[in-house]
Amino acid sequence: MEKITFPRIGNYSGLLKIFLEELGFEVVLPEKTTSKVIFEGSKNSPEMFCFPFKVNMGSYLSALEKGVRKIFMITASCGSCRLRYYAQVSKKILEEKDLPVEFIIFDQNFFDIIKKLNQLTKKSSLKISSLILLFLKEIRFIEKIERIGFFLRPREVEKGKTDKILDDFFLTLEKINSLKELKKVKKEVLEKLSQVPFEKKKFPIVGIIGEFYTVIDPEVNFRVEKKLGELGLEVHRDLTLSYHLLKRIFFTDFFIQRKVYPYLKSTVGGHGRDAIFEMLKYSKKNFSGILQLLPFSCMPEVTVRPILLKIHQKTGIPFLSLSFDEQTAQAGLETRLEAFADVVKNYFEKRKS
Amino acid sequence: MKVGIPRSLFYFKRPVFFEEFLKNLGCEIVFSPETNKLILEEGTKISDPETCYAIKIFFGHVIFLDKKCDYLFLPLLKKNEYGFEYCPKFFGLPDLAKTILKTKILSAVFEGDLEKFSFQVGKKLKKEKSKIKEAYLRALSLEKENEKKRYFSFQERMNSPLKKVLLISHPYNLYDSFVNLQIKERLEKLNLEPLFFQDIPYEMVKEREIKDIPRFHWEFGEEMVKKLDFVLKGEKRIDGVIEVSSFACGCDAVLKEYLEMIVKSFQIPFLYLILDEQTGEAGYQTRLEAFADSL
Repeated sequence: MEKITFPRIGNYSGLLKIFLEELGFEVVLPEKTTSKVIFEGSKNSPEMFCFPFKVNMGSYLSALEKGVRKIFMITASCGSCRLRYYAQVSKKILEEKDLPVEFIIFDQNFFDIIKKLNQLTKKSSLKISSLILLFLKEIRFIEKIERIGFFLRPREVEKGKTDKILDDFFLTLEKINSLKELKKVKKEVLEKLSQVPFEKKKFPIVGIIGEFYTVIDPEVNFRVEKKLGELGLEVHRDLTLSYHLLKRIFFTDFFIQRKVYPYLKSTVGGHGRDAIFEMLKYSKKNFSGILQLLPFSCMPEVTVRPILLKIHQKTGIPFLSLSFDEQTAQAGLETRLEAFADVVKNYFEKRKS
Repeated sequence: MKVGIPRSLFYFKRPVFFEEFLKNLGCEIVFSPETNKLILEEGTKISDPETCYAIKIFFGHVIFLDKKCDYLFLPLLKKNEYGFEYCPKFFGLPDLAKTILKTKILSAVFEGDLEKFSFQVGKKLKKEKSKIKEAYLRALSLEKENEKKRYFSFQERMNSPLKKVLLISHPYNLYDSFVNLQIKERLEKLNLEPLFFQDIPYEMVKEREIKDIPRFHWEFGEEMVKKLDFVLKGEKRIDGVIEVSSFACGCDAVLKEYLEMIVKSFQIPFLYLILDEQTGEAGYQTRLEAFADSL
């Protein structure tokens, strides 16, 4: 079978590879998002396009060098956002570079995915749908591991231990090829994490909101979650792959719209509405800060940002918005996060007393 | 009753209809002045730093009209009559304006049905149904007339002996001479004939089908591609195409790729200009002159 690849999707990449291999494809894993990938990607993309596109472009290029000519792309999802044209525009650019590729475009629709996979793999729909369900279950596991990481990072006695375990886990996840091995690895990582000693103390919680791709991919957002953990803050985020998929299946948009109605009367595409919804939810709970992550000039997130600032003024909860592009520098980011951490801690102490 | 209309962004999408409709309902219309430096400064101060140039100017106009009228007219444009969506940044405009304004907002959702939209606006102004209907019909016929007039002048321009340059952009960039730094006058000074592609009515190009290009769900994307195809395949030869875009416009980033492809397939020079609040006049003039030389 022909080699295929897919745009990198954070910590889930390894899992997606196992799933596609289980379906019978020969998969080339896209390269990790490094500064080289970002550089190559932005060199070959339209200047004003958003950052995730440039990152995707870079990862395709590295895979194309290995002889891949087919790319999986899940698109047609985020309403009025530019994501709709990712596949077409990258196809056009790659063709101009004499790299003809074929994009297999899926709508984010359960039946469409099954239908297309059925044609490609010649496997029965029953087998495919059971595999998809299994995949959804494994996604939950990855999110569970991430959540344990959020909890342990500020609390661990020996600093950096949790991250070492997590990094090991995600690395091995990208190397293994079958569900059987996955089971073993899962058991191991849970065992290791349960042995990490930690202090029982309350830490200020920061909620992360923003654009989907930037939020879930630690390589794109310069490991903000890890950095916050090191600064003694617990991280929480609702925006995960399973949240996004469940939203597609159960149409929870309706309830979200009802909650955000006083602030925004219509969709703005992407996860713009969700950002407001989550911020409102977090500011009512015991959160001590909100961090918004977005790629530079992301249309939905930029549109809702003044509204988020308004909520910040009303409730007084500390708020920081970080935008990422190929020119983001690590040092500047860290300074801003450190300052933000101080504000969050002050707010936390004030609320306690 | 005083109703304020910011002379920017959505106003240029339907310049005649909005004005005439509100006038016929018996409102006194207060326009913000044409964009100037003060408005731009105010807008840049108040709006999000990463949002596009057009939106920054829009908020300058909105701030200008604040407290100068009873209602501020800010419709929520979602879909046009043909079922294509407007820019997602338009969706949030009334809500964003609400966060900074003290004046009441007169708003209604436009989702393809202009009559329904008009009734919603009229209801908020507490007018009778028959009066709204009359105002709507009169505004619509005036709009049609204006469209015809514009197309007539476009055809006249097409017949001119000078070299013709087609300008593609959003209406709020093309018709606002502060934003595009008087591109029309500048081109005329260089002995070129500028053609505004907005002057072609959409009805004329509706049926066209274009290969190799994805069907855009944005109304302006659909419009730009079809009109460009219509003009370039027409009898009269076009000598050059200029696209004017505002900085950080997300939709233009996608569209530009395809517009450039179409223009290049006809072997016509293409110039892409990005405008923002820091665009210098000298550099702009040099680029236009260089472009004129290449024709």
